[in-house]
Amino acid sequence: MSRLLRLIPVVFRTIRRSPIRSGLTIMGIAMAMYLFTGVESMRNGVRDATEAGAGDSMLVVYRENRYCPFTSRLPEWYVDRIERIEGVKAAVPMQILVSNCRASLDVVTFRGVPGDSLGASLSPGTEIVAGSINDWTKRGDAAIVGESLAARRGIRVGDRFNAAGVAVYVAGILESSEMQDRNSAWVHLPFLQEALRRGGTGGFVTQFNVVVDDPARMDEIALSIDEAFAHDERPTATRPEKAFIGRAARDIVGIANFAGILGWGALVAVFALIANAIMLAMRDRIRDHAIMQTLGWTGPLIGWMVLVEGAMLGLFGGILGAFGAWLTIQYGRFAMTMEGASIEISTSAWTAIIGTGLALALGILAGVAPALRLSRRSIASSFGAV
Amino acid sequence: MSTPFIQCRELTRTYTRGTERITPLDKLDLDIDRGQFVALMGPSGSGKTTLLNLLAGIDSPTEGELLIGDTPVHSLSRGRLAAWRADHVGYIFQLYNLVPVLNAYENVELPLLLQSITRQERHRRVSNAMEAVGITDRHKHYPRQLSGGQEQRVAIARAIVTEPDLLLCDEPTGDLDRETATSIMDLLQRLNRDEGRTIVMVTHDPATTRWADTLLHLEKGRLLEHEEVTT
Repeated sequence: MSRLLRLIPVVFRTIRRSPIRSGLTIMGIAMAMYLFTGVESMRNGVRDATEAGAGDSMLVVYRENRYCPFTSRLPEWYVDRIERIEGVKAAVPMQILVSNCRASLDVVTFRGVPGDSLGASLSPGTEIVAGSINDWTKRGDAAIVGESLAARRGIRVGDRFNAAGVAVYVAGILESSEMQDRNSAWVHLPFLQEALRRGGTGGFVTQFNVVVDDPARMDEIALSIDEAFAHDERPTATRPEKAFIGRAARDIVGIANFAGILGWGALVAVFALIANAIMLAMRDRIRDHAIMQTLGWTGPLIGWMVLVEGAMLGLFGGILGAFGAWLTIQYGRFAMTMEGASIEISTSAWTAIIGTGLALALGILAGVAPALRLSRRSIASSFGAV
Repeated sequence: MSTPFIQCRELTRTYTRGTERITPLDKLDLDIDRGQFVALMGPSGSGKTTLLNLLAGIDSPTEGELLIGDTPVHSLSRGRLAAWRADHVGYIFQLYNLVPVLNAYENVELPLLLQSITRQERHRRVSNAMEAVGITDRHKHYPRQLSGGQEQRVAIARAIVTEPDLLLCDEPTGDLDRETATSIMDLLQRLNRDEGRTIVMVTHDPATTRWADTLLHLEKGRLLEHEEVTT
């Protein structure tokens, strides 16, 4: 075993001292792993945003057959009727205004809520990390901004910022486990309705966020809400929040699924790159291997060195690409927003570690065939091939 | 009378190339004593390199027996042969055959990586071997930065670093000018006389045979003549 470990520095030197070939191979692997980690992060974001959890208790009441915040208009007074439905714990009317209704990486979503309902409209565990709710309550044009939106736009407490024709004062920044909260700006409902007055939105809201008593009864309560307004002038369509986001962002979900194929393609590219680099290196080093065998190295030892070389190339490229993607996403704070629903490209060090591990495994796999071939080759045939 | 260090008994090596059967070594009987310096001469295709490869355990005989020290080399498996070679044989090539991406020190260190010794011990042995061939000041140089003579000295240091019983040289001066060749042959003779290493050297150059104490002539895979060299 110690003999096998002693050979690792020799392999490392071999890689380091063939800088052009090694560099190009590692760069290729890094690019592919960058793509893979980016795609996986996007898919993670889609999963987090759209897959329901056992503890989810939020329903979104939207205007039936409407798909954009600009067209979903529900009377604000629906809130009283919703709150009377059995199983509903709280309902918050919410006006949504987005700076861009299409899919985009930088959309500002304003959520207008009544001054006394901000706490109820936020997810449990949400924390104000700068500024205060008190400041928000005092100013009519105040906004509490989600941390991802704030980081993306470079917004700080005390700043004024303008989007979709609405200028607000930043009273606080919130941190939340929910990506919808992290990517929205929370403003007073009357302020947002006033800002939208030209469209005749007064007295109307985009949606109601409804918290239910028992997560197990979400579907039943959603049905009760829709039945209650079925014969009204403006019927509703009520869905669990995650399902609502999945429907709103269905194009993004489709893109993410397609991107998954690209991710697997990137892994195939990594395998092909390493296999090709190793095959070329083996062809160049037939003489070196024959010399080493003459010095007493066995075929399996030389095969081991080939495996280590594949593993090292995979590892270096994997670290560079996967952690490069992780850093880019970590600092870029990208979120894809569509029809007001945000899907963050969510990465973690764990995704980068998995990416690196996969590159390492592919490196070893790519070395298996050449290693086996070399381990069976006799010295005489190696010298004969020079 | 002591037992010879190398004993070849009816040593035969046969190859088949297409339908043609080639026998570069044909029932060779040969004894070499420990500490001898043997020069092996003969025309191309006479079986010199084949014999050298069999002595090194790089190739295996088709028939016959080869005993080196107490080891029946002809019957060893590939793995055991490699282990035996690592401990007992130093091989010096005509074209030095250094690993180009390793510097002089690392090339000499290469055979020691197979042995279970400490890094300090490895360093000591590499330094001693490089000092013995007078190449200490070139330890960080890569093969491309060395002259032919220097490369061959590094190759000799690599061959002796494991302190083998047997040094096999395949035309060690074949690619060197006369002056450098002389210094290399002096070095081999010193290793033979001062350290008692058995040397078998294949050569085409009659001038280099004067350093050996025995000259063997091979032709068509058989020993033609056997003469003592007087210097």
